[in-house]
Amino acid sequence: MSNQAIAMPRKTRGPWAVAFAKLATDRAAVASLAVFLLIVLACLSAPLYAKWAGTDPFASTLDAVIQIDGVDVPVMEQSTEGLGLGYTPIGPTWRLGNYFLGADSQGRDVMARMLYGGLSSLLISGAATIFTLIIGTLAGLIAGYFGGITDTVLSRFLDVLWAFPIYLLAISLSIVTIAQGISIGPIEIESGSLWLPVIIIGIVYVPYVARPIRGQVLSLRHSEFVFAAINLGVPGWRILWRDILPNITTTLIVFVPLMMALNMLTESALSFLSIGVQPPAASWGTIIQDGQALLYTRPLVALVPGLAIAVSVMVLNVFGDGLRDALDPRSKVRLGRD
Amino acid sequence: MIYAILRRFGQMLFVMFGISVIVFLIFFATPGADPAARIAGRNASPEVLEAVRHSFGFDQPLYVQYVKMMEKIFVTGDLTSFVNRGWRVVPAVMDSIPVTLSLVFGAAILWVVVSIIIGIVAAATRGSWLDKLLMALGLLGISMPVYWLGEVMNLITQSRYHDNWAFSWVPPLGYKNFSDDPKGWFLTLVIPWITLAILYIGIYGRVLRAAIIESMQEDYIRTARAKGLSETRILLRHALRTSLIAFVTLFGLDFGALVGGSALLTEVVFGLHGIGKLTYDALQNLDLPMIMATVMYASMFVVIANAVVDFVYILLDPRLRTS
Amino acid sequence: MKKLFFAASAASLLAGTWLAPAQAEYLKEHRGGTIRLLARSAAGTLDPHINYTDQGWQMYQPIYDGLVAFRKAEGMDGFTIVPDLAEALPVVTNDGKTFTFKLRKGIKFSSGQDLGVKDVVASFQRIFKISGPTSGTFYAGIVGADKCLADTKSCTLEGGVVGDEAAGTITINITKPDAELLYKLALPHAVVLPADTPAEDMGSKPIPSTGAYMISAFDPNKGMTVSRNPNFKQWSEEAQPDGYPDVVQYDFGLSEEAAVSAIQNGEADWMFDALPSDRLGELGSKSMDQLHISPLSAWWYAPLNNRLAPFDNEKARQAVAYAVDRNTLVKLFGGKVLASPVCQVLPPDFPGHEDYCPFTKNPGAKWSAPDLDKAKQLVEESGTKGQKVTIIAEDTAISRSVGVYLQSVLTSIGYVADVKPISSNIQFTYIQNTNNKVQMSITQWYKDYPAASDFLNILFSCASFREGSDASINIAGFCDKDIDTKMQKALDLGVTDQKAADKLWAEIDREVTDKAPAVGLFTPKRLDFVSKRVGNFKFNRQFNWMITQSWVQ
Repeated sequence: MSNQAIAMPRKTRGPWAVAFAKLATDRAAVASLAVFLLIVLACLSAPLYAKWAGTDPFASTLDAVIQIDGVDVPVMEQSTEGLGLGYTPIGPTWRLGNYFLGADSQGRDVMARMLYGGLSSLLISGAATIFTLIIGTLAGLIAGYFGGITDTVLSRFLDVLWAFPIYLLAISLSIVTIAQGISIGPIEIESGSLWLPVIIIGIVYVPYVARPIRGQVLSLRHSEFVFAAINLGVPGWRILWRDILPNITTTLIVFVPLMMALNMLTESALSFLSIGVQPPAASWGTIIQDGQALLYTRPLVALVPGLAIAVSVMVLNVFGDGLRDALDPRSKVRLGRD
Repeated sequence: MIYAILRRFGQMLFVMFGISVIVFLIFFATPGADPAARIAGRNASPEVLEAVRHSFGFDQPLYVQYVKMMEKIFVTGDLTSFVNRGWRVVPAVMDSIPVTLSLVFGAAILWVVVSIIIGIVAAATRGSWLDKLLMALGLLGISMPVYWLGEVMNLITQSRYHDNWAFSWVPPLGYKNFSDDPKGWFLTLVIPWITLAILYIGIYGRVLRAAIIESMQEDYIRTARAKGLSETRILLRHALRTSLIAFVTLFGLDFGALVGGSALLTEVVFGLHGIGKLTYDALQNLDLPMIMATVMYASMFVVIANAVVDFVYILLDPRLRTS
Repeated sequence: MKKLFFAASAASLLAGTWLAPAQAEYLKEHRGGTIRLLARSAAGTLDPHINYTDQGWQMYQPIYDGLVAFRKAEGMDGFTIVPDLAEALPVVTNDGKTFTFKLRKGIKFSSGQDLGVKDVVASFQRIFKISGPTSGTFYAGIVGADKCLADTKSCTLEGGVVGDEAAGTITINITKPDAELLYKLALPHAVVLPADTPAEDMGSKPIPSTGAYMISAFDPNKGMTVSRNPNFKQWSEEAQPDGYPDVVQYDFGLSEEAAVSAIQNGEADWMFDALPSDRLGELGSKSMDQLHISPLSAWWYAPLNNRLAPFDNEKARQAVAYAVDRNTLVKLFGGKVLASPVCQVLPPDFPGHEDYCPFTKNPGAKWSAPDLDKAKQLVEESGTKGQKVTIIAEDTAISRSVGVYLQSVLTSIGYVADVKPISSNIQFTYIQNTNNKVQMSITQWYKDYPAASDFLNILFSCASFREGSDASINIAGFCDKDIDTKMQKALDLGVTDQKAADKLWAEIDREVTDKAPAVGLFTPKRLDFVSKRVGNFKFNRQFNWMITQSWVQ
């Protein structure tokens, strides 16, 4: 009698598990994710840092005096040469917990503000990114799939959005909400509410996402499996949900870090107009704005938040690259026996 | 063909109409934006305020004011600013177009050339240190706010190192007409070109690289390889073409927006009185006529750019020609 | 930089067509060249009857003339009225209600037309025809003005401004005596323009002028060119002196930082806008002789809404006044050299000013330190502790930082405060309109002319408050009938005895300050930064630096 084992179907790992495993071997992606989580953690620990350092990063403390190596140093140094004009905040002391990065023009600890600011910036950009992707995808899907009049109307609407002076809307909204605030359904928008910058920034890039998605959906529309589904009588929304949407997920995922980056920058540009995070609260954008007025004496105050945005953007993008590689079934990386 | 162009033109009118109405409504819905008191001057007596309101037509219903304003922009062309009284906005917009075009065209040439090179090199050397370095530099470019970068450039070239041999050639800020002083025109624009291009080089380099890598995995590339074509030829003649689709789509959007004046912070920082600066000043001053004029102009370009992009799209992607 | 003492001008007091010896010499040596000025933007309209900005008024000095003018001199002398287009100061009759001026002969406009009585009459009518900003306030006292304000098109000012061609005189009749009439006539809103100037805002079209210079080109986006008036012959050195530069080139568009760099590099000679605070240290040490610090009659203050909680309670208002550390604000503005703390309404060296500060640790003449304990106590007593307060600031660097600081102060004495910066272009009208329910704001007031009423009467009289209007300059909504009566008394007294009136104004100043309708913050000084080649810098207290009285070669 021959020893023939019955061939049992072996349980294979699903595509997500495969992707995850692939991602785990991408060292750069993993390292980037770690750095990003580190940044998030640091920002979350902002209250602890402020408490330990003994500073209130939201109170104006122009008369504060700190101790460096036992010497009393005022936080705002008066110019002593010549006419003695102007006050300059102290530069970086490079001592953790003691004005590590120096002071800003209100005498506040820049390091503490950076940590608090990171939370606001990441929150705003993150929420705005989600907003953009949801609306942009919806628009792209509908325009690309249904075509015809729907496509034309939606595309022109996107044109209006892209050409729209968003700063005017931002200024107007910020003034309207000072007095009473607006409510859209369950969302209550007051003047200092973070919903304002989220919505404004989110709207700005909807066309940026919608157009490429629309393009992709257009070409998917003409692929055989969609054609087959239509002929089978599958309703439109079901095709969108089960056939087309999964195929554009990769594009969307890749868009996330790019959008985060652009949104962080837009947030800093809007801070120029004092919209969104209201003083004395901080965001990386408002710290850059504060730093603009100190550019010639304390360039670090404008440099550090810029760098923070750059690093966050970079690690998000590297992670995004790794994610895309992992999710792409056609990529060359093969794993194990699956 | 004619029908398509006419249709696009109609859509452009629709877009411009839509935007103008929204801008108008937003302006008058903003508390404090009513220009009568600002025009009348500080501490104006009620009679003066009323007289100003009447002479500018602010006491008329909104739709009447809207129609009058549109008439003044398009029919008679003599719409004047609320802030700089007597200043015609349409000629002002026309005057500033060459400045913006000089800035944007130069920057666009710079960024397209550099980003294509970077994208191709990065894709070709995928995974190597060169690839990673280029992408990192590109990311750095994306991450710097343009107004900050501009001010830093000024700090370096106009102030700190102005007398240094490296930057002594940088002329004082401000635009010079090409017809008056071609050399001055060029030198004045070099730093602004670089500043504006840095942001876009980062984005476009990455987009192109990703697109090339993606198309290198398509079946028709495998066919070409099987046929024995060299990697370089495959890259440059086959993959590049389809990768340019995404590139062109984005470029159309961005270039159209830039010509329409979205480079406003760059123009402000470098003292170039282009459309962007006009827009910025108009927004800061809440000068409705100027806002209207610049917004109309910008929206016109966005639509034109989209139309051109769609057209080029068809040229580049043979698959779309048949549909 | 040469310092020039115009001792010689004291000898040339009387109007004469000869040049003082020193002036003549300097003109020979330094006459000519182009002086280059920078500003962030144009100052609005070119029309002197409408333009109401410091930037515009400063530039009009060498260009336009009125019947009288402020003397073109430094120091307090610059507040004196001297005859300009009139041969001499007016003959006042009819209990101070009639002013007769004799018009000088031989003056031509830059367009070649001769200046005549009809031009003067037409100019006064024009003030009303174009609904000038001050037509309803400064010039409303002229007989016939009420008819003109009601119907601007048919304005004749009949009985108000009467010209006699034969005698060459102009007679101005006012409804009641006004001690400040001459000041008002010396402002750009009352300069004399050709009779055929259209009765509408001339906007960007230059109007012919009588002064030493004329506007030869203007583009609000690019710049303004002011060149010599070919038809000018100096008739009075103290009213309209000849100038040194041949051309004034005023360019718009550069940011403040860029402007500072340009002046440092010698590419420009002066900038209008405030210097950015991060260049102050550098300039203060390296370019000392290019900096000029001059006093201004102005104040930064924080109006509190007297008709809205919590500041309808006097104790709450006083609490804020006690709590503000004005030294900190001075630091934010750039230091002691550039600003001084202020508690009261009238600025230093102003008629009627007597040092007074009740809101400090040791109340007396000057402010010394904030009194936080007293402030907290007052907040408790007022019963407004814990209430929400919103501060409306302007979206400029300094206003924003003042706002952030004030928010901090309010929080420390027991309020829940937040600060909202809004676009500077609408902030001023926004905070005036009661519909916007503004509790506290930050703003400034610069004098129109040197009279106590320009601060106290305009900012704090009941008549200056208008419900629901964008033009309600009594932002605090302060209205006290007794103080109002006193102000009227002081105005009337000024006609006969200005010194007694000033004493009365000082008293009013104290009373208003005590009630704290607004919190005085600080009084700024003007910092001018000029290039190395600018010589003979002279600052006039009414209109700031006398541009054409400096030379560039």
